[in-house]
Amino acid sequence: MTVYPINRRALLGAAASGAALLAMPTVLRAQSAAVKIGLLQPLTGALAQDGELGRLGAEAAVAKINSDGGLPALGGAKIELVVADARSNPEAGAQEVEKLQGEGVVAIVGGFASPICLAASQAAARYDLPYVVDVGVADSIVTRGLANTFRLAPGFGTVTSAAVENLIRLNDAAGKPCKTVVLVHEDGLFGSGLARLMATELPKHGFEVLETIPHPTPARDMNNIALRLRSLRPDLLIPSSYYGEFVLLSRTMRQQRIRPKGIYAVLNGAASNYRFVKEFPDAALGVMDCNHWHDPKNPEAVALKAQVDAAGKFWAYNIPLNYSCVKLVADAVNRAGAADRAKVIAALAASDYSGHIMPYGATRFVGGQNQGARPVNTQVQDGDIKVIFPTEVADARPVFPIQG
Amino acid sequence: MNPREVLPGLVLLAVIAVLPLVASNVVLNFLLSSLIVALAAQGWNLLGGYAGQLSFGHAAFFGTGAYATAVLQIRYGVNAWVGLAVGIALGAAVGWVIGALSFRARLRGSYFALVTLAFAEVLRILANAADFTGGASGLLIRLSPGVENLQFASRAAFLWLLASAVAAVLLLTAWIAHHRFGAHLVAVRENEDAARALGVDVLRTKLRAIALSGGVTAAAGCLYAQNFLYLDANIAYGTWISIEVLIACVLGGTGTVLGPVVGALALHGVGELAKLALGRVAGPVPGVDLVVFGALLILAVAFLPRGMMAGLQRLTRGLAR
Repeated sequence: MTVYPINRRALLGAAASGAALLAMPTVLRAQSAAVKIGLLQPLTGALAQDGELGRLGAEAAVAKINSDGGLPALGGAKIELVVADARSNPEAGAQEVEKLQGEGVVAIVGGFASPICLAASQAAARYDLPYVVDVGVADSIVTRGLANTFRLAPGFGTVTSAAVENLIRLNDAAGKPCKTVVLVHEDGLFGSGLARLMATELPKHGFEVLETIPHPTPARDMNNIALRLRSLRPDLLIPSSYYGEFVLLSRTMRQQRIRPKGIYAVLNGAASNYRFVKEFPDAALGVMDCNHWHDPKNPEAVALKAQVDAAGKFWAYNIPLNYSCVKLVADAVNRAGAADRAKVIAALAASDYSGHIMPYGATRFVGGQNQGARPVNTQVQDGDIKVIFPTEVADARPVFPIQG
Repeated sequence: MNPREVLPGLVLLAVIAVLPLVASNVVLNFLLSSLIVALAAQGWNLLGGYAGQLSFGHAAFFGTGAYATAVLQIRYGVNAWVGLAVGIALGAAVGWVIGALSFRARLRGSYFALVTLAFAEVLRILANAADFTGGASGLLIRLSPGVENLQFASRAAFLWLLASAVAAVLLLTAWIAHHRFGAHLVAVRENEDAARALGVDVLRTKLRAIALSGGVTAAAGCLYAQNFLYLDANIAYGTWISIEVLIACVLGGTGTVLGPVVGALALHGVGELAKLALGRVAGPVPGVDLVVFGALLILAVAFLPRGMMAGLQRLTRGLAR
């Protein structure tokens, strides 16, 4: 039998290890319990791409908050993200709220599509569970009188009026090169509403709307729409579609050599998406969009974008929006001083949070809608997405018309 | 009515009814969704299972019931219970109209199936475009819990209501199966010409079946609207519900009293269990449950071509020997 002699160093090491092990529960007790925040995103189904982008942003925010020491008012409590899959439909979204309620989350962030946000926030209202909408733009989300629902980003009305206003400014500044417009829109919630609004507003400002062309989502062929565009020859095309349909349309237009003086998208799924810019640079060149976007002059936003780029992921507005919403909720929980839902709702309603990375004015919630929220105009220039309006946050000048 | 046919179903529903005392809201929510599909599938079973008229467009009835309840409440301030009754009547009326148009044109089999699909799609597009259905924005029923508003603060109360509705249709189906009307339905399913030769009014039988089927499926639509309080054209008239009721019936056993209920519970149960089990093992991998769910569905259809009820019968007979 081999005998292993115990030397002094081994004895000291073992004693230290034992002491550390015995002290462990005390250390663990000193650390406050984690605060659970629910993230509801469409991780499967037609909107899975957007859901994944949202998750990326929310996870980055949680990592940042936790690495900065957690929530100081709660003894440095860490944030734990509980992810739920809305499966790209409102019914599943509402069901997942039940799951998050069962998990004991203090608030829910996300939803992405307006129908999911509408159903999920209403389901959360049953439990007085704070719900912060990330992207969903339908105005009805914050006009139903639900005390638990908040939206940091701008709604449909704000985005569309800014889009019309900025389009007129852009056209006037270039010497009014565009007079005729064709609206191409998806026949769902945002596309139809937007087309109706544009068709009413644009003629008041001297534009002639030649035709409004709806298409379903998903659409597998855009040839007929492209042929219609070829025969109408509009100066300006205003598309409102999700990612796949807009990419298909712009590629078909490129193939059929249809080149209007400008493509001015509003809340478009592709025009402000780096995947589109990198995969189809020719089709994307010069496309403008009025949409959600991060503040390009905010160092934290720039750092986050660099982090996402370094990870080999495509940047899109879902990332900074979810990042900002999670930080907004964390701030509210911290100010509430407890993971208490009623206190968090009160803290959100009174929030003037400025630690987000969006190009917004002062945060102030009225009826759940952040009054400081606003969209920006972006344009694809030299393989990059630049902000061209408003001027105080812009990092490039508009290139318009694309061809004179 | 054969008590042995309905007893297992009623026992199953009684078990579901006492579950709220012990189960979490997540489980109750799963049961609510399953029972809504079960109710809609019971409607499909009357037309597709007993009368043999395969429909791919039961969304037309489901959506009509859902929209009727929602529109009447939101636009005209009508009480939700009245909305439920009107929804059921309208569902039956839509069924009768679709039936009258297609059965008079002597459409059968896959032609009838395609026509029902087309009707559902037309209704979806119309609901998506019309203003009174909220267009693409959909309709949001105001949250105001109260029995008088057909909204319940607790999930349990809604579950009891749904279980009662499913039990009522279960009894109705069992009664029909042993009634003259049921015999006519089966005769039409097996051989229309022979049924006609025996003096069965084929058109009248089919129209009664589709109206009844439409009414039951519309009831599921109404209750769906009252449960989720949000509707849009893709939810109400989307192909998802047509497919789910079809799969629930095929899985459970078409033309059986209990088949749609067992099928709907199994369909949703397998999906949820796969998600739960794989979520624990493989972590949060989105969609992995759907893969397992699809594979299990293929296996079930391959090994139980006449549905789970037929499989259970075979098993009990085997054990009895």
